[in-house]
Amino acid sequence: MREYFRYFKWVFIVIAVLVLILGGVKGVQKAASAMGKHERTNTECSTTQRVFDYADVLSDAEEKKLEELIARRESQTGCDIVLVTLFESLEEYAREIEPDVPYNQFVRIFAEQYYEENNFGYNKPNGDGVILVDNWFREADGKIHTWFCTTGIVKDAYSDADIDSILDDVYLYVEDNPYRAYKTYVNEFYRHMTGKRFLNLNLPGWLPILAGIIALVIFIPANWKSGSGSKTTTAATYLNGGIEHFSNKQDIFLRKSVTKRHIDTSSSGGGHSGGGGGGGGGGGSHGGGGHSR
Amino acid sequence: MIFKCSNCGGNTVYEPSRKKMYCPHCESLDSENIVHDGSLAQCGNCGAPLTPGQYESAGRCAHCGSYIVYDERISGIFEPHLILPFRFDKEMAVELLNKEFHKKTFLPSSFLSQKSLEKLQGIYVPFWLYDYQAHYDFEGEGTKVRSWQQGDTEYTETSYFHIIRQMEADFDRVPVDASFKMDDGEMDLMEPYSYRELEDFDPKYMSGFEGEVYNQSAPELEGRAQVKVRNASETLMQGSLAGYSSIRPGRKELNLRRDGVCYALMPVWMYLYQYQGKTWRFQVNGQTGKVVGKTPVSRGKVFLYGLTTMFSVSAIFYLIGAILGIM
Repeated sequence: MREYFRYFKWVFIVIAVLVLILGGVKGVQKAASAMGKHERTNTECSTTQRVFDYADVLSDAEEKKLEELIARRESQTGCDIVLVTLFESLEEYAREIEPDVPYNQFVRIFAEQYYEENNFGYNKPNGDGVILVDNWFREADGKIHTWFCTTGIVKDAYSDADIDSILDDVYLYVEDNPYRAYKTYVNEFYRHMTGKRFLNLNLPGWLPILAGIIALVIFIPANWKSGSGSKTTTAATYLNGGIEHFSNKQDIFLRKSVTKRHIDTSSSGGGHSGGGGGGGGGGGSHGGGGHSR
Repeated sequence: MIFKCSNCGGNTVYEPSRKKMYCPHCESLDSENIVHDGSLAQCGNCGAPLTPGQYESAGRCAHCGSYIVYDERISGIFEPHLILPFRFDKEMAVELLNKEFHKKTFLPSSFLSQKSLEKLQGIYVPFWLYDYQAHYDFEGEGTKVRSWQQGDTEYTETSYFHIIRQMEADFDRVPVDASFKMDDGEMDLMEPYSYRELEDFDPKYMSGFEGEVYNQSAPELEGRAQVKVRNASETLMQGSLAGYSSIRPGRKELNLRRDGVCYALMPVWMYLYQYQGKTWRFQVNGQTGKVVGKTPVSRGKVFLYGLTTMFSVSAIFYLIGAILGIM
């Protein structure tokens, strides 16, 4: 047993140090978020609900978890965070308000209206906050449209590229795991608004397990058998005088051939096609952008 | 034959650390008398019956503990030409084994125990030492490739050469062990011995050790020596062909001529270790101290350590991810 601990001494020390650092980081984060807790000043909002799963893509338990997460993130960011899923055509509804609106903007109109009708906004009605509308219905253009609508301070905090980035994150998971996608929306929004992010990365949870398995796969075969010793003789070990003798050693030049090859210096690379980002909201009080799938 | 102390009549043995004959009873040095009493069947000291193994040339009487060198097996056609005396004693061999293996985590714990190490034996292993003259004729075509760039064009120049080599190499005393008991591969790994310390055969060096007579004759084992010489010649030839990008051999002819062969005894400390019904064998070169042998591995230990490694790596990854907020 002593041998075991001696063998893993440094590994265990590293783990212990990391645990301590993590504890410290969490403590600091907790203190900071407690200090930075925002008081909600909007009293006119018509509802306390934030997750409206009309498309029914979430289970009740998932909705509840999202509501809890949103409640926490709202007080940390000082913004209302709303999620709406739909499964219905918005064509009639949107065209009534804006007759010439393109397909991918239906969700924008819905998002803005929904936000305003419910008096969302953390500081005041139609104030600071964000709403994500994901309409699972395929409109006549054959696509599913999603809108990320920003209001108040959020409008200033999000550039078009930021909006693209958060919608990309949502689209990464939305088909296979809507809950994870919407959770990402809430957490990414929180990280963006609070700047609590060292790296713009989100690694999957199975990665540490995979790393451990790889370590095991390397470790076991490497220690399963032992070698018997290495060779300590060379070709010259038993050579008289340690040197061979060449009575004839010739390298006669025969001929030479030269080939030419043109080097193509212009690099060719495939460009990415854009993700269909949307422009800013029309009314002026909202910002936002959309993606389609 | 038995080496007896002229002062006290005790059994004198060769002591590597002193490089002298030593009497453990009265501590006299070089006081030995050779006594030719006894035979293969009977101890010359106490008369007890002996049952030496088929190839045993030196050993110990189980009854009185005397070291006996069997006259019949070191004379006539069995007389060695040369002997390389042990350079260090058992304590040193134990130390070398300890040094080699004490850091190996997955050895069974009894591997280096005092009790196991007591079974360490010093053995003079029979070897044939072959002398060869190698003559190697080589002819072939080689290419040297050079490439450079000029503007947006890359040029590749290939030069062709006719290569001629005639190599002569004399190989002296290429060793091949002549003992069935010893593993050929492991004996090869024990090499090289420093031949400077080879001496004309003298049986006194065998007193205090075990020994074997050759198990196979020189012609029977010549094939192994030839393989070694061929491989070495090939390596030397390849060395002279360095610098070519590719070589297409045309003619290759390697002829070996045996110049001579001699019979020698080489010192080996042997340690036999029993683990899970299997015998594991370790050899320490009695001259250079090189240790050769596959160690047993405690599989349970490997699993336990492997799992700990797996969980530790996962934990470290997870913790770093959590600290950086990317997980």
